[in-house]
Amino acid sequence: MARYGMALDYKNCINCKACEVACKEENGVELGAEKHRIWVGGNNPEGQWPLLDIASAAFLPSQCQQCDEAPCEEVCPTHATYYDENGVVRVDADKCILCSYCMNACPYDARYVDDRTMTVDKCTFCSDTRLARGETTTACQNTCPTKVRTFGDLDDPNSEISELLRTREHFSLKSHLGTNPKLFYLT
Amino acid sequence: MKVEISRRRFLQGSVAMSIVGASAVSATNIFASEHDSKKHVVGIPDTITTKTSTGKAEEVPFLCAICVNKCAGFARVEDGIITKLDPNPYFPKSRNMLCARGNAGIQTLYDPDRLKYPLVRIGERGDGKYKRVSWEEAYNAILNGTDKFKGILQILDEEKDNRSTIGYCNGEGLSKEGFEVLMGEKIGTPNYVDEISICLETVLGGFFSTWGTYGEADLNNADYLVIAGANRAEAIITPDTLDLFKRSKGRGLKTIVLDPRFTNTAIKADRWLAVNPGTDLAFVLAMTYVVFKEELYNKEFAKKHMEGIEEYKQHILSHNYTPEWAEKLTNISAKNIYKTAREFMAARSPIYYQGRRSVFSNNDFQLRRAMAIFQGLSGNMDKKGGIIYGEKLPLPKEDINAPIYGQALSRFDGKGIAIPSQKTGSWIQFRNMILEGTTPYPVRAMFMRKHNPMAGVPNTKKTEAFLKKMDLNVMIDILPSDTTMFCDVILPEASYLERTSPVASYGALEPAIVLRKAAVKPLYETKVPEQIYKELAEKLSKPLWENTLKYDEDVQDDTEGMSKKELAEYYKENGYDLAEPWEKSVTEQNEEKIVSTYGEKAWEILNERGVYYPHIEEYHKQININESEYYPENKKKYTTQGDKLKVKCNLTNLTKKGVDAMPTWSDDMQFKVPEGQFRLVTGRHAQFTQSGTTNNLMLRDLVPTNYLWINSRIAEEKNIAFGDTVEVKSSVGEVTIKAYPTEKIAPNQIFMLHGFGGSSAEMEIAHGNGANDAIIIEDKIEPVYGAAVMHDTNVEVRKV
Repeated sequence: MARYGMALDYKNCINCKACEVACKEENGVELGAEKHRIWVGGNNPEGQWPLLDIASAAFLPSQCQQCDEAPCEEVCPTHATYYDENGVVRVDADKCILCSYCMNACPYDARYVDDRTMTVDKCTFCSDTRLARGETTTACQNTCPTKVRTFGDLDDPNSEISELLRTREHFSLKSHLGTNPKLFYLT
Repeated sequence: MKVEISRRRFLQGSVAMSIVGASAVSATNIFASEHDSKKHVVGIPDTITTKTSTGKAEEVPFLCAICVNKCAGFARVEDGIITKLDPNPYFPKSRNMLCARGNAGIQTLYDPDRLKYPLVRIGERGDGKYKRVSWEEAYNAILNGTDKFKGILQILDEEKDNRSTIGYCNGEGLSKEGFEVLMGEKIGTPNYVDEISICLETVLGGFFSTWGTYGEADLNNADYLVIAGANRAEAIITPDTLDLFKRSKGRGLKTIVLDPRFTNTAIKADRWLAVNPGTDLAFVLAMTYVVFKEELYNKEFAKKHMEGIEEYKQHILSHNYTPEWAEKLTNISAKNIYKTAREFMAARSPIYYQGRRSVFSNNDFQLRRAMAIFQGLSGNMDKKGGIIYGEKLPLPKEDINAPIYGQALSRFDGKGIAIPSQKTGSWIQFRNMILEGTTPYPVRAMFMRKHNPMAGVPNTKKTEAFLKKMDLNVMIDILPSDTTMFCDVILPEASYLERTSPVASYGALEPAIVLRKAAVKPLYETKVPEQIYKELAEKLSKPLWENTLKYDEDVQDDTEGMSKKELAEYYKENGYDLAEPWEKSVTEQNEEKIVSTYGEKAWEILNERGVYYPHIEEYHKQININESEYYPENKKKYTTQGDKLKVKCNLTNLTKKGVDAMPTWSDDMQFKVPEGQFRLVTGRHAQFTQSGTTNNLMLRDLVPTNYLWINSRIAEEKNIAFGDTVEVKSSVGEVTIKAYPTEKIAPNQIFMLHGFGGSSAEMEIAHGNGANDAIIIEDKIEPVYGAAVMHDTNVEVRKV
């Protein structure tokens, strides 16, 4: 039993997409631009060449925010979306009827249809691959060149993530929605 | 419910190009995979990505070869199939990471378009008609030819054993040296060209001649960085990329980026200076002017270590290289030049990043010299936070018994070049002289490996004509590249995940030795390169020796009256037995090297961890869930030079060669683009390396094609919208490409990613996808080494 979360030192992100590929290879995710569990957001810089606004073009690595109050779980009519024993929002492929309510409910656009399993799939924190083997990192975290991510147990005060959240300022995405994400962006 | 999508079916379903590709290939497509149908093939996964299991798996240390960095990893092997590549935490150079390309290496291994069997050409060059043959038949075809092409024996006979009639080329990698031994030292031709003269030759030359090293920038401890034309967020170099971006954005490393384009590196900058292409030299000279004029340099260091500093000071001040002068040339304000120069010299540990990259402009050698001297003026050399000389762990060198061929003539492509490289030459000059027929003797055969000049050497039309001019072209490679399709004999090589490679040593601040072990057996009928070298050498050895005996008077004199036995001994003793360097397997050679230098235990550790350095078990400590300490702080090789350190400002010997002894600006270096035209700049990004990765399914999924960056205001004037097809035309060729209007580039410049637009119909994904920049880049060389100049082509752009 743990309460897994992730802290992102997002200013390190160079949008190299190592995390996306590691995720797809580890978890056997389909190819296709829409079939992703993890992505990097970014904006074109504001202004005209050569006076471009550097700050307007930051990268924001993202994935399922692993909400404590997950809208996708709330709306699921068949309870296919559920919290596992570690607080990770998971999907039961046998129960999913592809109604796509969860896709509409998710404020982070973190869910996609897996055409092979006919499931609205999502990031699982590598629960059924790496964590199931006893590893302590997710694929995206482990491979990252600039070490953006720190994954760990929020309930363990001695975990690295707990220490990071005690010592570094951070924010959550769309915190006003009351979803209580377990992804934290370090400033 | 489970719907399986096979690798081949995915292609047919989603890539429009594949239809063209498939129809271009005859019904008896010997390139096509054996697993076209849904049937399971042992050793090849059924799906594109394979979810890792919770069951048993082997973790094999490997060294990535998807680019030049050599990052270390572990391959997860389940039932003989690689399901995942993970980073190796023990290697200080790659610091527990694999990039997108490194992760996608699986897709290259299992690429359905891979070369699978030896092939011999039965059609005309370039028409794609080949016959599948055995290895023995392929080697025989190289030796004796077929009814379609001449063999090497006949060519050497006709050329009276002038070995120099053979040219050869090879791309970067751990098995490159073996190919150089086979072709250069054993078969005996000097005519070698490789990636150096189409890449970073002036960068290495400039820094080596000034500092005595290229050095390593200690970006973990520097506090001020000028990074010019090196796009480290997209052209990843380890460990530089890993260290730099953990500390940019107000976190200890103030970062000034110079680049004509607003790159991902510029996004991480404190200041982005949109420099005009080819004018960095004026920027550095003006910064140097400020530093001398305001006496900001480290005088103690200069006095002790900088040779010719007074002459250089005089040179800079007397030329009046003021920031106001440079402003007009560079598009960087004088104010910013003053500011950057002053900040640089006031910083504790400033670095003007060396910037490993291709040669962009004619003055690149002098630019590197000016940068190196400017760094010297800060005194931040050979110490923590500065340019590190470091150390390298020694590995024993093999002794090669190289025969002497009296009939072989010397190389010719140094003509008109100040300091021509005797080893790797000048690709452009080599090719062009052969094409123009101005060589002192004919070059009639090309032996090529892991190299694709059709995409890498500027002016593809000329490269194609060059390949067609040859009597014999041989290729050893993994994929049927554009160049492969002009070859007569094609030998399929095992990819880096299927082979054990010669051990390598990587030096500097935290030196280590690394080992690549085969994670799976070679697929299909592919072979590891060293086995190919050996077998080819065995096939050629005796017949070529007979040819030497026939024409070489020195050998005839030596061997006159010898008995059969004596002759056999002479052949052996004088190195004419070509296969002798490969008597032992790579693994045996590796073991010998490591055990003799570092002991049995080192070999054990290296096999287990893939990495070894003395005291690794004691020194290596995981410091958090992501990062390790490789050496304790007091064991890092920050300072190794002491009084030996020299920064050479005034290289008077260069004047004898017609090269300026000190970096000097001349008017012909100005950035000029005729009205209505654009300067073409090229580059890379983090999801592709070169043409070698454009057929990778996973990477194509991330970046479907290359686009033409064109300033959005200009695009609007020309009525060009995103996705419109445009024609880009230079004096040497034209390509079509889709447009991407953006403010990230200047109104008089355009940009496209390098490596796209493949012409080989046998690479379904790469074929016809985007544009090949080599088709339109003019084949110009810089004067010092004869290296290709990549950013000196003006083009026209029109909507089609």
